[in-house]
Amino acid sequence: MDALNIAREYETVQYIVIKIGEEQYGIDISFIDNIVRMQSITRVPHVQPYFAGVINIRGEVVPVMSIRLKMGLDVDEYTNKTRIIIVKTESNAPIGLIVDEVKEVVTLDERSIDEVIHDSKVDETYINGIGKNGDTLISLLDLNAVISDKDNS
Amino acid sequence: MDVSQYLGIFLDETNEHLQTLSDQLMILENEPENEDTINEIFRAAHSLKGMAGTMGYKRMQTLTHDMENVFSEVRNGKIKVDGHMVDILFQALDALEEYRENISENQDEGTNDNEPIINALQAILNGESASGSDAGPAPEAAGAAESEPAATEEKKDAAPAAGDKWLDIVLHEPEQHVISEAIKNNSKVYGFTVYIQETCILKAARAFLVFKALEELGEVIISEPSVQDIEDEKFDFDFSLYFVTDSPIDKVKEAILAVSEIDHVNGDVIDMDHAKIAKEDDEDEPAPAPAEAQTEAPVASSAPAASSAPPATKDTKGADNKKTGANKPAVNRTVRVDIEKLDVLMNLVSELIIAKNSLVSFSTSDSSHSGFNEQIEYLESVTTNLHESVMKVRMVPIESVVNKFPRMIRDLSKKLNKQMELHMTGEETELDRTVVDEIGDPLMHLLRNSADHGLESLEVRRERGKSDVGQIYLDAYQDGNNVVIEVRDDGNGIDTEAVKKKAIERGTITPEQGETMSEKEIIDLLFLPSFSTAKVVSDVSGRGVGLDVVRSKIGALGGDVSVKTKLGEGSTWTIRLPLTLAIIQALMVVVGNEKYAISLGSIQTIEDVAEEDIKYVEAREVINLRDTVIPIIRLHEVLGVESVKEPNANMVVIIVKKGDQLAGLVVDELIGQQEIVIKSLGKYINCSSRLISGATILGDGEVALIVDANVLI
Repeated sequence: MDALNIAREYETVQYIVIKIGEEQYGIDISFIDNIVRMQSITRVPHVQPYFAGVINIRGEVVPVMSIRLKMGLDVDEYTNKTRIIIVKTESNAPIGLIVDEVKEVVTLDERSIDEVIHDSKVDETYINGIGKNGDTLISLLDLNAVISDKDNS
Repeated sequence: MDVSQYLGIFLDETNEHLQTLSDQLMILENEPENEDTINEIFRAAHSLKGMAGTMGYKRMQTLTHDMENVFSEVRNGKIKVDGHMVDILFQALDALEEYRENISENQDEGTNDNEPIINALQAILNGESASGSDAGPAPEAAGAAESEPAATEEKKDAAPAAGDKWLDIVLHEPEQHVISEAIKNNSKVYGFTVYIQETCILKAARAFLVFKALEELGEVIISEPSVQDIEDEKFDFDFSLYFVTDSPIDKVKEAILAVSEIDHVNGDVIDMDHAKIAKEDDEDEPAPAPAEAQTEAPVASSAPAASSAPPATKDTKGADNKKTGANKPAVNRTVRVDIEKLDVLMNLVSELIIAKNSLVSFSTSDSSHSGFNEQIEYLESVTTNLHESVMKVRMVPIESVVNKFPRMIRDLSKKLNKQMELHMTGEETELDRTVVDEIGDPLMHLLRNSADHGLESLEVRRERGKSDVGQIYLDAYQDGNNVVIEVRDDGNGIDTEAVKKKAIERGTITPEQGETMSEKEIIDLLFLPSFSTAKVVSDVSGRGVGLDVVRSKIGALGGDVSVKTKLGEGSTWTIRLPLTLAIIQALMVVVGNEKYAISLGSIQTIEDVAEEDIKYVEAREVINLRDTVIPIIRLHEVLGVESVKEPNANMVVIIVKKGDQLAGLVVDELIGQQEIVIKSLGKYINCSSRLISGATILGDGEVALIVDANVLI
């Protein structure tokens, strides 16, 4: 009875945990369309610098962006663990995100997600919460912020 | 017979035949003597009739039958084609189109008999085309049904008066009409009942001979049982008929009795009074009065086809012509596919199976991994091609949309009382089916706009020294990575002052704003909702719902509309649709290590140029090619890659053209020509230079970018 109440009270969300550098990030699983291995990316000239180019996902041309470059980190180093996560947000157009590694799927409920205190740090504009999974902290990516083009100017 | 499974084919073919009829009628109107056209029309009408008959759409059949009769007379040179006749025929086409729509909505042709049209056709047949029994715009007039089969079948059980069974034939309006016309023309109308000897074995054959003999003398208006039933031997030993002829009755009787095994024949001259009496006699029988029979008949005749949607059929009964509650079309939309495209698909699928089989064999045997990867790659390329081919199947020429426009312009010409001509080019330009379906309305708006607002009245045209006939052009073509559809007229052009005045009047803009507005901004006002400059609101245009609809529709398809205009000389409306989904022929090139596609449409020639042939004009590289100085653009610089070519080797220069400007693009290597499916890069990527207009997926699954050469010039 108690368990039921709790389940009803606290919504749970599943996140895919990815690694960029040493930090772990979570992406809401409901936005994820596909996860593919690194493949040859066709460079597109004259675009925003954080776009690595486009790839072919089942016959669709999907733009791929580097989260690292978008966040102002070092250039990606493609390894055997590098993956491209294809996400679809409300706008429904797919976009690929290059991540260093895909680790696991975790289920977090509201209680284990903390609000982010916004300060002037650039990185944190892309995060809309911090999840606690046992001992580890997972920065929850705000996909819309990551994808949006506002710092292009 | 359950014919519902053929419904899709029926509708498709009906569409085609109607289109043929419409096209050919347009030709016929201008060349009334064109025999090929008449034959073509006859064939189309005939097939239409046959199809409608097979499907059990009696009204459609009757109407096409009458049209066919008219064409047949025209073909035999008995009637001359004139404007009135073409008008009636067009009305008949509209009526057929209406049937078709009803059928596609709810598998039922509706209950509109279109009697005025049928009567008008009959009148033409009887040589009265000039008397002008105009079918009128409201063909819904509830008249008696001409659905003879249904009515006569019910009649069959009735006890006939001995000997003179022909008196019992129920005459409906079309027949009555024919009879009264005949009487007017001093022809005689006889009623006969023919009795065949009861020993006769092939009575249908005998009856057929009787009909044949009669047809030499005149025309059988109606028979009881119907001709069809007689042919099927569905009668006892007698049949009755009404007959129009100029010959005396004895001669006709003689002709009938000349057929062997005919026992005797009863008959007399009749006039309309007789006929009417016969009809009234009919009323005390269980068979419903004609007016009722009308609503009853379609339900009965379409019952097998409509069995899947019984409630819909019920609704139609009585509800004249109204669409039924179920708005869902009864039939799915279809695309007609070139057999070659299907062959390609088939080939790809077989390749796919081969690829799968080799994968299966790999999984069972322990072979090296490299071979396995090879197979995977093969599979990948096959599936990519497969996808591409299926996309191609979706492409249809815009022909299906634009070929209804000549007819529309013709009608507009009559309605607006302006002479005009429509010239179309590029009907074969292909677009995705969904786009083709959507561009019909906007194009129609623009054409109407040109016809109504654009073209001046005759007096003004003469004053301006233009030809009497207004010219409207509809041109479609591919321009680089766009499909462009232009609607052009040689009319008045847009009077920006008038537009401005109107806008100020309406309060859309203030007079001060008006002062500072550029011409382009003023023209943009036209695209605002509810803005119309027509002084008189006609039912053609002028309600101000046109241009904003055009813009929003085209916008929804990812295109744009622009207009160029010169007061007094005409305007050009340009619809530009992106080729997303579209397929183009492209030249594949290599620049650095990357592959690019350049639309073949913009390429003039490909030249092999030696390094030393490059000259400098204003510090820009040019070549002098056959006395034309062409600026050179090194594509690798523009694209930001390292050229892999040796510095001293000859350069491959692709000469591209935009309007009358040329430029030479230097690439490292040519791969070859290829048909590519254009994909958008998506909205996330913001190609600031607009240099890349899209991407395509190559046979090996790799993505290649499409360079829009127009931007470079």
